[in-house]
Amino acid sequence: MDVSAIVSAQQSKYKSTVVEKDIPLEIDVGLLTVTDPNPPDEDAYKANLEEYLTSTARDGVQSLVAALFALPTKSSPDGPLALLPKPTTALPRSKPLPKPKPPTKWEKFAAAKGIQHKVRDRKVFDEEKQEWVNRWGKDGKNRELEEQWLTEVPANAPADFDPAKESRDKRKERVAKNDKQRDQNLARAQGTSLSEKKKEIERASAMARVSTASMGKFDKKLEGESKIRGQKRKFDSNEMSTKTENQRALSIIAKLDGSKKRRTDRDGAPAEESVVNVRKAIRHASKGKGGVALGHKVGGGKPSGARASFGKKGKR
Amino acid sequence: MRPLTEEESTAVFQKLANYIGKNVVHLVDRPDEQYCFRLHRDRVFYVSESAMRLATSVARPNLVSLGTCFGKFSKSGKFKLHITALDYIAQYAKYKVWVKPNGEMPFLYGNHVLKAHLGRITEDTPEHQGVVVYSMSDVPLGFGVTARSTIDTRKLDPTAILVFHQADVGEYLRDEETLF
Repeated sequence: MDVSAIVSAQQSKYKSTVVEKDIPLEIDVGLLTVTDPNPPDEDAYKANLEEYLTSTARDGVQSLVAALFALPTKSSPDGPLALLPKPTTALPRSKPLPKPKPPTKWEKFAAAKGIQHKVRDRKVFDEEKQEWVNRWGKDGKNRELEEQWLTEVPANAPADFDPAKESRDKRKERVAKNDKQRDQNLARAQGTSLSEKKKEIERASAMARVSTASMGKFDKKLEGESKIRGQKRKFDSNEMSTKTENQRALSIIAKLDGSKKRRTDRDGAPAEESVVNVRKAIRHASKGKGGVALGHKVGGGKPSGARASFGKKGKR
Repeated sequence: MRPLTEEESTAVFQKLANYIGKNVVHLVDRPDEQYCFRLHRDRVFYVSESAMRLATSVARPNLVSLGTCFGKFSKSGKFKLHITALDYIAQYAKYKVWVKPNGEMPFLYGNHVLKAHLGRITEDTPEHQGVVVYSMSDVPLGFGVTARSTIDTRKLDPTAILVFHQADVGEYLRDEETLF
């Protein structure tokens, strides 16, 4: 019996499941994507666009389905499921790459010393309970000491020694220390320290509070607003020894003399310090004509016309 | 009541030195008893150590005065001498001005000393120098600042101001309630 006629009739009814293209299609089964890199057939494209597009799409889907059926499957209540491989097409990120976190102090130290990072399990095995328990958190192992019903008390412990409280305090201390270190790491990463920033903000807010018409006196107080405290002045004690106080006063007086801008005699030393009152002596010697006139007289010269005013002064 | 700070001491001594020059040292360094300066309600008091120690037991609102009030600090931090300091200033004064009897009353009413009222003046007094004003019978009346130096006074007319008034004993009556 010749079945070739039936086969050919069947073949003409359905298109071939094998897709043949000049350039093979690129199939990314992970993303259920098929890309056709072939250039479009211009004649068919222009003759009938719809038909051309449908046939191209059919080819693509056909090859994708063929690829899907080649995949390993897993049975499920809804029928067999194909196990998709990882997508091979690289898609661009929508967001820029995250910046690497600045290393903490410990990370820097570990890198310098070549210490390897070891991942610590969140769970620890409890020998007594014979089960895995949290290292910290709910029913954490780190609270074991404060929750045990019997505790060994050191011999030198005081009468009011509370072992539960003691170990709890220690745990809280560790938590606080870690918090502090984390804050410091954050601050180091940011550049300025947190406390500095806080201070800056507080200063700015204090300044803003007194920068009103009433210098902040009649302004509405915000909830939780603390009172602005200025710097306290510090004074010496009243009961200070008078001796030391007087010593200090004398040193101030001694300093006073140097800085004081008192009218001093034109001829050098201040009037107070020289034994002879120079100005008075000159006046006496020159008979009221002044130092310049005296100089001319001693030198034998006559006072010039420009200096005549000095002589005039003396006549008074 | 508290000791003066360094700036306050400087202000006080500078002002005193304007009148008594280097004799300020004698106020601090006394042979008889230790004296000190104390600030109480912006006023500066010159007080013996024993009196100061007694006054420490008086509460601040109850303490009216102690020792001798030398002056007060203005709100801007300047020190102003009071007439009550006259006793000490007159004792050590470097430059003095004596006023004639007819000039006493005008000065005691707060007026400046005119040339017409000038009896005597310390020779060689510079300009803008703190001086103590005396009556002709050597009773200190107050203090002021010279407007002219001694030499320049001669050519002035009789109504010219010679000493700017700063404080006079008339203030004991005029400013009785604010003085101490």
